[in-house]
Amino acid sequence: MVDVVVPELWPLIAYFLAVLGLVVLMLTLSHFLGQRRRDRATDEPYESGIVSVGSARLRFSIGFYLVAILFVIFDLEAIYLFAWAISFREAGMLGFIEASIFIGVLLVGLIYLWRLGALDWGGKQKSLEQRESVNANNGK
Amino acid sequence: MELFYFYLAGTVAILATAMVITRLNAVHALLYLIVSLLAVACLFFQLGAPFAAALEVIVYAGAIMVLMVFVIMMLNQGDAAVQQESAWLNPKLWAGPGILCGILLLQLALVVLLGGGGSSEGFAPKAVPTKEVGIALFGPYLIAVELASMVLLAGLVGAFHLARPATRKHTDSATGKERNNG
Amino acid sequence: MEAVTEPSVLATLLNIGGILLAAVIFAALLTWGERRLLGFWQDRPGPNRVGPFGLLQVVADMIKLFFKEDFVPKFADIPVFILAPTIVMIAMLMGFAVLPIAPGIGVIDLNIGLLFFLAMSSMAVYSVILGGYASNNKYALLGGLRAAAQTVSYEVFMGISLMGVVMMAGTFNLREIVLAQEGGWYIVPQFFGFLVFLVAGIAESHRLPFDLPEAEHELTAGFHTEYSGMKFGMFFVGEYLSVILISGLITTLFLGGWLGPWLPPLAWFLIKTFVLVVFFVLLRAAIPRPRYDQLMDFGWKVMLPVSLINLLATAAILIS
Repeated sequence: MVDVVVPELWPLIAYFLAVLGLVVLMLTLSHFLGQRRRDRATDEPYESGIVSVGSARLRFSIGFYLVAILFVIFDLEAIYLFAWAISFREAGMLGFIEASIFIGVLLVGLIYLWRLGALDWGGKQKSLEQRESVNANNGK
Repeated sequence: MELFYFYLAGTVAILATAMVITRLNAVHALLYLIVSLLAVACLFFQLGAPFAAALEVIVYAGAIMVLMVFVIMMLNQGDAAVQQESAWLNPKLWAGPGILCGILLLQLALVVLLGGGGSSEGFAPKAVPTKEVGIALFGPYLIAVELASMVLLAGLVGAFHLARPATRKHTDSATGKERNNG
Repeated sequence: MEAVTEPSVLATLLNIGGILLAAVIFAALLTWGERRLLGFWQDRPGPNRVGPFGLLQVVADMIKLFFKEDFVPKFADIPVFILAPTIVMIAMLMGFAVLPIAPGIGVIDLNIGLLFFLAMSSMAVYSVILGGYASNNKYALLGGLRAAAQTVSYEVFMGISLMGVVMMAGTFNLREIVLAQEGGWYIVPQFFGFLVFLVAGIAESHRLPFDLPEAEHELTAGFHTEYSGMKFGMFFVGEYLSVILISGLITTLFLGGWLGPWLPPLAWFLIKTFVLVVFFVLLRAAIPRPRYDQLMDFGWKVMLPVSLINLLATAAILIS
């Protein structure tokens, strides 16, 4: 039913199977060759010799979430640019203007976030002087 | 042979999706969802839409799912989440939506099976080279792309303001001295 | 490329086996080569005891890794724990599938080759994040998160930095991109694209100076704290595989791939890739590790705007 364009895929699939085989082979070999030992501390998480306190199921900083969501948005933008890059010659001047506006809008967004400090890891870092002046204001 | 690949990828997608629904651990469910998305990407590729296939992997499996994993890890609830999930698997809760979806599925199956003979030409896959996608996007659908850029901008600004680590208000209040090391 | 006759099944199978073996063997050799080179630059011998020039160190290491305990901690999320290191191996090895090594050598000639590579490298993120999550260890969790945040930050402009090349060549097909460079390598007109991609590539493979996820002075070993034996080996080999893959891709995209005078194409490809790999090692010997916030700042505030502006400038020059 599918005739043209779709290329011969079997080399890719064969290659994938070979890769999969290699990985499985490595895992099983090491599983059977490896030694086994049980010691008193085997089932404790390694924390550089300090006895672990609490579970590792921690909640972490929202900064990571922010990075992830910025990544999703810019990745989507990149996808549009991929489409533009491939059809660049065909799209011509009109396409160029359109893409310029597209990139411009997102650069503006980037600058906005930059100014607000969204790109500063762990919040906006203040210099010592600024911090002192804030403290002074709070004190009075 | 192509038909075989098609059904293989389709089966993987359906099985993986079924696993997504039934897993109690959210991270495991997400892993199956990623497998399902990859299988769907294979389907797209098979049907002659390589660009859509690449997007499926890069955007869905590679970006949005990463965000999901982040969120799930961030809300890390461990066993509490598993318990909640198993509570949601109570038939009382899913029976209603399940039946309604079943009716829709039945309808879809009927349409495909009965109408398939007449309109199969309409369903015949037509290869869409990547270049054509770009030409369409940056030609006739120019407004749509610009609108998309606006939507992305809105998403950017909105996401930041929703997720903003407590900033100014916190500092100005008398207690906020050391908030900027978080 | 359509005019080329269909390669025989046997030739393709040889290709598949050869490329897979070569990738793994070169990655293994690189574990030795890196230590030797680092030793050379630091005025010490490096591993030189086992076999000629210490070459058999690779074999010794491999045997050691295979006989180490295949440790799966009881407190871990076991299926995910086992899955995580395989993802990076599979994703990176799959990346080699689209790499056009020389005419007639290469697994498959995809029209979306470049996108395939980007897709595979975006899959590799899961390895670190899931490894960190599944280990159920605080160091691992922090390392995994850091690694994931770093990788995604640098992945954003990785794709964008390559689009200048795509514009000039007018295709995503890596083989055609190489052929389009017959008039001149793209490193000259796309120098900024090259720089950005190089940085993104180093960050993607978590090499120094971007190895903060495993920064041993603060996180023990980061996301692979709980890993040992062959599973650790897989993370390790995965890293070297990605170094080779990125080098090969830079060769293909910016340095004219297999093109070059006198020598056979395969030799040219290997030489260029080798030089880049050595450069990666030299970076490790030469540059200190930045602070995490500096790293993130650099990505979002320097590299992303540079890659966007590079793209616009390329387009403006090409269109006029």
